[in-house]
Amino acid sequence: MNARFERLAAGLFFLLLLAVQVAPLKADGASQPVVTVTVTPDSVLVGDRIHCTINLRHPASETVTVENTPPALAGAFELISKKQLSSAPRAGSRKESFEFEYAVFGAGQQPLPPFTVTHCDGAGTITKKVTYSPSSSVFVRALTDSTMHELRPIKPPLKPSIPLLLIMPVILGALGTAGVVLLLLFLVKRFVRKSAEDVDSGQVAQRKLRKLGSSLSAGMPPHECYEELSNIMRTFLETHYRISALEAVTQEIERDLKKLGVAGFESIMNLLKQADLVKFADSRPDAEESRQSLHKASEVIKSTRKSTRNSNPPE
Amino acid sequence: MQHAVELEELGAEIVDASSFLERAEAELSLRIIGQRDVIRRIFIAMLVNGHILLEGVPGLAKTLIISTAAAAMNLKFQRIQFTPDMLPADLVGTMIYNPKDMEFYPRKGPVFANIILADEINRSPAKVQSALLEAMQERQVTIGSQTFPLQEPFMVLATQNPIEHEGTYLLPEAQVDRFMMKVIVDYPSYDEELEIMIRSATTATRAPVKAVVQPEDIFRARALIDRIYVDQRVQHYIVDLVVATRNPGLYGMTELQAMIEYGASPRASIFLLLAAKAHAFLHHRPYITPEDVKAIAYDTLRHRIRPGYEAEADNMKSDDIIRQILQNVQVP
Repeated sequence: MNARFERLAAGLFFLLLLAVQVAPLKADGASQPVVTVTVTPDSVLVGDRIHCTINLRHPASETVTVENTPPALAGAFELISKKQLSSAPRAGSRKESFEFEYAVFGAGQQPLPPFTVTHCDGAGTITKKVTYSPSSSVFVRALTDSTMHELRPIKPPLKPSIPLLLIMPVILGALGTAGVVLLLLFLVKRFVRKSAEDVDSGQVAQRKLRKLGSSLSAGMPPHECYEELSNIMRTFLETHYRISALEAVTQEIERDLKKLGVAGFESIMNLLKQADLVKFADSRPDAEESRQSLHKASEVIKSTRKSTRNSNPPE
Repeated sequence: MQHAVELEELGAEIVDASSFLERAEAELSLRIIGQRDVIRRIFIAMLVNGHILLEGVPGLAKTLIISTAAAAMNLKFQRIQFTPDMLPADLVGTMIYNPKDMEFYPRKGPVFANIILADEINRSPAKVQSALLEAMQERQVTIGSQTFPLQEPFMVLATQNPIEHEGTYLLPEAQVDRFMMKVIVDYPSYDEELEIMIRSATTATRAPVKAVVQPEDIFRARALIDRIYVDQRVQHYIVDLVVATRNPGLYGMTELQAMIEYGASPRASIFLLLAAKAHAFLHHRPYITPEDVKAIAYDTLRHRIRPGYEAEADNMKSDDIIRQILQNVQVP
C-alpha cells in the first residue's frame, strides 16, 4: 500500500514538474508565435512615409526573423529602412519588434504588404516559414497633377450644368449692355454738366445778384454787399472760364482774363478792385454805390454770356 | 466811395515817403543789371528790420548788389568772408591790452556796421555762426563785460553756396528761421547777361555810387509801415497759409501731408505780415492785400518748410509745396 502510494505520489510529482516546465511554452504559443502589426499613420499623402511595426512573441529556444517583402509583392510600398529590437519579457520567451519604414505610392486604400516570418532552431536550421497578410491598410491621397509642376489636390473637372456655348452669348450680351449703359450715362452726364456750366453759371450769378439787391434794400450794410459781390463774380469766373478765381488774387485773375481775351475785361476788373478796396482798405461805400455796382455786375455777366454764345465756348 | 480818413492821409504820406526807393532803385540800376527782385527783397527786409539769406551760385553779383545798396542808402557796409578757422572774436571784436595805461580796451569787430555781408556763412563753425545770429537777434554785442548796441539800421545778408557742401557747416533750422527771407539769386536773362558783359568788360574805374537815401528816410518809412492797415481777412489768410504748411490736410491737401516733415513756425506768420506790409509800402499803398502776401510767400516760407522723404523721392522742393498751398488756400 505504501509502495503504491509512493509510486503514485512520485508520478504525480513528475507530472506536476512536467506541467510547470511546459506551461509557459503552451501559454506563449511555443508552436505558433504571437504576431501583431501596427501602422502609423494610417492616412498619408502620396510619397509620404509610414512606420509599420511587427511584434513577434516566441519561445526563447528559437530565433525568428521577418524577411523583406519582394518588390513584386510590395505593391504601393517601397521599403526605406528596417530595424529590429529584441527583448525578453518573461523567462523562456522572447519578443522581437521589426520596424519597417515604407514610402507609400499609389492612391486610395492600400493594404499592407504580406510578410514572411522564418523560424530557426538553436542550431540555426530553418524550422518553418509562415507568411502573414496583415489586415491593416493605409489610405493614400494623391496630390500631384499630371504635369507634376504644381502640387495640389486633384479634383475632378467641374462639368457645367449648362453648356458653355449657351452661357457665353448670355455673358457677352450682358457685358455689351452694361458697356452701352455706361457710355450713355457718361454722355448724358457730360451733356448735363456742359449745359449746366454754360447756362447755370450766369443764371446762378444773376439770381444771387438779385437776392443780394433785395438784401441791400432790406438794410444789409454796403460793405458786406461788396464782399458777397466779389464772391459771386469770382465763382462766376471760375465756372464760366474755368480759372481758379477763388484761390487767386485780383492781379492773378486779371492776368488770366487778359490771356483769355475776355470781353468786358475792364468792367470785371473794376468791380473786383472796388470790392478789394472795401475788403482790404476799409473803404466805406454807400448804399447807392453798392446798388450801382450790383447793376454793373449784372450787366457784365449778361454781356459775357452773350459774347460767349456768339463766339466759341471757352476752354 | 469813401476811405477812412486816416487811411487816406496815410496813403498820401506813404506816396511821399516811399519816393526814396525809386531814387535808390535808379541809382542801383546804374550798377546792377537785372536782379530787380533781389533788390526789392533787400529793401523790404531793410524797411522792416529783417535779415536775408541769399542763395545762389558764385558770380551772380550778390556782393555788388549789397555793397551798392549800402552805398546808395549812405550806410556803412562790411563784408565778412566766413572761413573754417574763424573765431567769434574775429566777428564781434575783442579786448585789447594797452600797456601805456595798463588797461583793456574793447576793439569792435566788423559786425559794427549797418549792412553786413556774411559771405558763405556755412563755411565757419557753429560758434561763429551763433555769434552772428545772436547779434542779429539781440541787436547788441558783448565784448568782455561791456555790451554795445549795434547801429540802426542793422541788416545781415548771409550768402550760401548751394552747390558746394564739402567742408561746410550747415546752418541749423533754428538759426535759419531767424532770417526773415531766403532769396534765391538766379542767373540773369540772355539780354541782361549781354548788357552785363558789355558794361563790365572795361578797365575803366567805375563812377562812385551816389548816396541818394539817408538813414532817416528808412526810419520814417518804418514808422509809416507800422501804421499800414491790415484787414482781419488778410490776417486770417496769412495764418491759413502758415497753418497749411503744418497741416495741409485741413485745407483739403491730404496728399501734401506726407510731403512735409515740418512746417513753418509762428515766426513765419510775423515775418509774412511784416514783409507784406513792406511790399504794400513799395507799391505806395496804405493797406495790404492778399497779393502782397502771395508776392513774398515764397521768400518768407521756403527755408521754414522741410520737405519729407516722400517729397525728396518725388524731387519736390519746398517751393513746390508753397506753390500748392498758395493754389489751394482760398483767398479772402
